[in-house]
Amino acid sequence: MAAPVNVQAPSKTWELSLYELHRSPQEAIVDGTEVAVSPRSLHSELMCPICLDMLKNTMTTKECLHRFCSDCIVTALRSGNKECPTCRKKLVSRRSLRRDSNFDALISKIYPSRDEYEAHQRTVLERLNRLHNKEALSSSIEEGLRQQARYRNHRVKKPTQESDNTTFSGGEDNGDSRSHLSHDSAPSNTPHPMGQTPPEAGPSRKRQRASDDGSGPEADSGSPTPPLRRHKEGPVSEIELVFRPHPQLVNATDYNQTRYVKTTANATVDHLSKYLALRIALEERQTDGQIENRGKEEGGDKTEEGGSGGASRSGEGSSLSNISEKQYTIYITTKGGQFSTLNGSLTLELVNEKYWKVRKPLELYYAPTKEQQQPQATQQQKSPPPQDG
Amino acid sequence: MASQNVDPAAAAASPAAALKGSESGGSAARGSVTKRLQQELMTLMMSGDKGISAFPESDNLFKWVGTIDGAQGTVYEGLRYRLSLDFPAGYPYQAPRVKFVTPCFHPNVDEQGFICLDILKEKWSALYDVRSILLSIQSLLGEPNNDSPLNTAAAELWENQEAFRAHLHATFQK
Repeated sequence: MAAPVNVQAPSKTWELSLYELHRSPQEAIVDGTEVAVSPRSLHSELMCPICLDMLKNTMTTKECLHRFCSDCIVTALRSGNKECPTCRKKLVSRRSLRRDSNFDALISKIYPSRDEYEAHQRTVLERLNRLHNKEALSSSIEEGLRQQARYRNHRVKKPTQESDNTTFSGGEDNGDSRSHLSHDSAPSNTPHPMGQTPPEAGPSRKRQRASDDGSGPEADSGSPTPPLRRHKEGPVSEIELVFRPHPQLVNATDYNQTRYVKTTANATVDHLSKYLALRIALEERQTDGQIENRGKEEGGDKTEEGGSGGASRSGEGSSLSNISEKQYTIYITTKGGQFSTLNGSLTLELVNEKYWKVRKPLELYYAPTKEQQQPQATQQQKSPPPQDG
Repeated sequence: MASQNVDPAAAAASPAAALKGSESGGSAARGSVTKRLQQELMTLMMSGDKGISAFPESDNLFKWVGTIDGAQGTVYEGLRYRLSLDFPAGYPYQAPRVKFVTPCFHPNVDEQGFICLDILKEKWSALYDVRSILLSIQSLLGEPNNDSPLNTAAAELWENQEAFRAHLHATFQK
């Protein structure tokens, strides 16, 4: 089949490869056979390699047969070298190009509505853009949380947590002036994250107290080491979750904090529960102005809150040794808006896979365990007494 | 046709020429650059190339941070370098400004991190993208052009690969 190719243009030498010399042309399909082409390979055929968009007013280089949008190739020739952007063959000017209306027709056959295609493209890119913003957001949130966790550890030695092999960092007590978030929805930037607190939760008295109470100054003085900028890639994957009080079981005036927690994926529900109990106990203590423990570290520069905590400083044992994972029960919402209790031994990773599935942070709910006698520390502010069994 | 009437010297000299060339206002051109950069970002995220990565530094799509892992079998194996990529408004008709952020001991990289690579200069083509730039720099690491070194000490030491490797790893600092 090898026809003598060289004869048509005697003035030019065509350097053809062996393959080109011997290949036989593709047979035209005339009998209605359908050929499947993957969207991806189709896309790479139809796109302009300069703007990476679908070809518009296609121009083809006369010698090397590379295609570009008219605008793109004209701009490229004007601003750069006079060569084909794809293969560097000399392109003297626009005259080295020809309009390829066949190709334009082909494209409009495949994509009859260009507007529709472009709209689709836009939505895809917008989604990507959001993702990219979100990634920037979550990395800065993460950093804020890490710093908070650092000065929190510095402030109070937590005997119960030190024995744990999982670490938690919670982001609920705002006040961290150093988190550099540029987004309005940043949860750790404002005392009341807009739209993130459940509607039934009133203004968070406790939370404000927590920030009035000197987490601000501590943010500056309490972290002697410079913040770690690098995202550390541990061997264990991490999981982020939003942690809200159970809307039905928790009185709106009590546990009105939405907590943002990031931890390792192999932590269990029990770990989380224990962490929560500890956090709440610590916050109670803080609100009550019981500072004996912290006072040691901070050189007593903190004056007492003057009983403004609203709760009686009854001196009831707010000892952290009472903390147990039994104090709080963790719930997750299932499809029908039902709350179902999570078994304590489940790892968060499993919970995420089994119940959540969506690609956004896991949302869990918490409420004091009903049949459990609440330790004094967490009981002080609760109006309904626990149902003792 | 209009292009033939433009003084080629003037067009080449003016960095804004490419921008004007798109025959629309600056903001529209910026929009198309943004679009192209978003496309690139998407492809990069989909492709999952080993040994290179790049991501916008912040919300500003015109500044990216990239990383390159030294290729296997080269003296740079096991080292990871960070680079900054700065996209001009005339992108992709003009090359981005690419610099090593991590100090890089290499015949074609100077102390400020500037890279001597033809495709970032006179051999730039609008078809190059972040991915191809990073891959090119990655292969430049293993195959320097010692005829036009920016770092002559590195070029001289290159002959002795073992000594080069030793020096490289001893002085490497993130």
